[in-house]
Amino acid sequence: MKDKTSFTLSGTVSRRTLMMGATAGVAALAMPKVLRAQEKPTLVTSIRSLSNPYHAVWKTGAEAYAKWAGLEHVTLVSEGNSEKGIADIKAMLAKTGGNMVLNSDPNDTPDARPIVEACAKAGAYVVTQWNKPADLHPKDFNPNYVSHIEFDGIASGKTIAEILFKTIGGKGGIVALGGLISTTAAIERKKGLDAALAANPDIKLLDFQVANWKSTEAFDLMGNLLTRFGDDIKGIWAANDDMGSGALEALRAENLAGKVPIVGVDGIKTAVDAVRTGEFACTVTSDPFWQGGMGLAIGYNAKIGKFDPVKEPPEHREFYGKAVLISHDNVEEYYKTNVDAKPEIDWNDLWGRVTGAIRT
Amino acid sequence: MKSVSDIERTTLMTFLPGRIATVFGGRRWRSLAPLAVLIVLCMLIAIANPNFIELRNLVRLANSAAVPLTLAMGLTFIILMGSIDLSVEGTLSVSAMVVVLLAANDSNGNDYGWWAVLAAVIAGTAMGFVSGLVQTMLRIPSFMATLGMWFIGLGLSVYMLGGSAIRLNDATIRDLALHRFLGLPLAVWVATGAFLLAAVIQYHTKLGRHILAIGGDEDVAKLSGVNVVRVRITAFALAGFFFGISGVLAAAQLGQSHAVIGDGRLFAAVTAVVVGGTALTGGEGGVVNTLIGVLIVTVLANGMILLGISPYIQQTVQGLMIIAAVALSLDRMRLRIVK
Repeated sequence: MKDKTSFTLSGTVSRRTLMMGATAGVAALAMPKVLRAQEKPTLVTSIRSLSNPYHAVWKTGAEAYAKWAGLEHVTLVSEGNSEKGIADIKAMLAKTGGNMVLNSDPNDTPDARPIVEACAKAGAYVVTQWNKPADLHPKDFNPNYVSHIEFDGIASGKTIAEILFKTIGGKGGIVALGGLISTTAAIERKKGLDAALAANPDIKLLDFQVANWKSTEAFDLMGNLLTRFGDDIKGIWAANDDMGSGALEALRAENLAGKVPIVGVDGIKTAVDAVRTGEFACTVTSDPFWQGGMGLAIGYNAKIGKFDPVKEPPEHREFYGKAVLISHDNVEEYYKTNVDAKPEIDWNDLWGRVTGAIRT
Repeated sequence: MKSVSDIERTTLMTFLPGRIATVFGGRRWRSLAPLAVLIVLCMLIAIANPNFIELRNLVRLANSAAVPLTLAMGLTFIILMGSIDLSVEGTLSVSAMVVVLLAANDSNGNDYGWWAVLAAVIAGTAMGFVSGLVQTMLRIPSFMATLGMWFIGLGLSVYMLGGSAIRLNDATIRDLALHRFLGLPLAVWVATGAFLLAAVIQYHTKLGRHILAIGGDEDVAKLSGVNVVRVRITAFALAGFFFGISGVLAAAQLGQSHAVIGDGRLFAAVTAVVVGGTALTGGEGGVVNTLIGVLIVTVLANGMILLGISPYIQQTVQGLMIIAAVALSLDRMRLRIVK
């Protein structure tokens, strides 16, 4: 009986302690909120994961800009979980009292809306990249939703295809490795390939296969394609570099590396190295370093009033960024400035890489 | 002898194939079903595209079966026990990470050569050992214990690799994939070695028989004096050992390591084990079944490309094949409950 009483009591006490603790916590949270009003905004990067090279470079770019601008920077990682991504952003909005600039690569297309709405409500400034629903527009959330940036997958797919065709002399058979079927990037890049094929009737697409963006799958797939087509394969088009590098290793196992040129998209280090050795004909990159830094720069400049988003033309609110082509001609230069050293980017040149408004 | 309830449960779908099976010799026929599936599959593909039986293609088939086979060898012992090991991808990526970071690479100055391979295999074994400890000592079901180890392993390699892909520059380790002995890449010989080792363990050691006994009925095994805890821990460590080897092979084949190097391997390995005729409930099947299962899955993937099946329906075909293979090899009339 005594035990039971003391047990009940301890419950009461801990509940009271909890209440007091919570009150103290709320008070503590509220105080700095008042203080922070005059502080510099916090820069926040929200990305999918740190386990892929692409987002790892993105983060480096964000940190480089934060250092250049002398601001505090926080990286949020959603780990491919939309709920976590949105919840983390809301927590950050609460913590900073809305005094923040967000550069987000939403995990999934529908995520962009709750993210933008939460930011607009809290008074934070937000730039989104890659994913947003077609009916969500920066101009509907003035001035908080500053810009949305994408890269034209059709143009990338077409550019690398044309370089591949030129490398193999304008005729012969090629095989293509596509990304995960349902993703926009995979669909657009394939459209670009199709457009290039239509313009080059002497090039024959022997087969189009899907390796789901992965080098491991591309490795096995390429072996099988070699069986089916053998020496008829004169070139390989890959929708991303990781698959391209898997295909390259499959070629290497058959002593064909360097004899059958490969092209890819993303500009990962393996691919850049392969362009240097001549095993890749080219790769094209959206330049995640620029994306990570410039997304924050655009948001921050709007926040401090350097420009007024409302007065900007439509092609500054929703635009395609300029992709950087890395081929045999410029690879040494690219290597010197981007791999051996950290890239130098003029963070004041906000609109230098705008290539046009996004197709609707 | 069939009990009355068995007869009541028999539906047309289970009755017909069962009848056919009985005509051809019942249980015996069933145990050979996966092999029959493999042979029929090979014949069909070879008729449709003679390139299939070219020596070059057979070598390629062997090469792409090397990593899944080594993986599935480890997994077979766990499934034979009636447990499951979901840590396949995590353990594989840890071992690939260890070998790349310790051998010559483009990120740090290490160059320990074959010691790196040894360390990677030890790391894999250690991961399996911990899975076994967690399962037996903390009494956490293998499903959850190894799910945890999967993410621990993945997190570890993400952290160590800094999220990027790191190249393997050690030429002798890359020779596992690039150098050939008697026309076959060394990786194939390593996988063959793994298969022989697994076969010896299963059929000629006490450990192998104890694993089978635990899968058949753990209580009976315990009462017969089998040290269940020790056998379980050893089996998980053994599985980790095989995962470790396949991590090294995967890194050697791709010439690089990134955290997601194991992506999709778990599913492929489980499919291969089950298609080969090893029951997920444990106690039935073995490494020879798994060898056939791996070959079925690999031949199918190869065949679909050779036949030019559209990538949009390949997954559907794969799914149909899995169901068909299991339907043929599993004696469904003997199943008391299906869950």
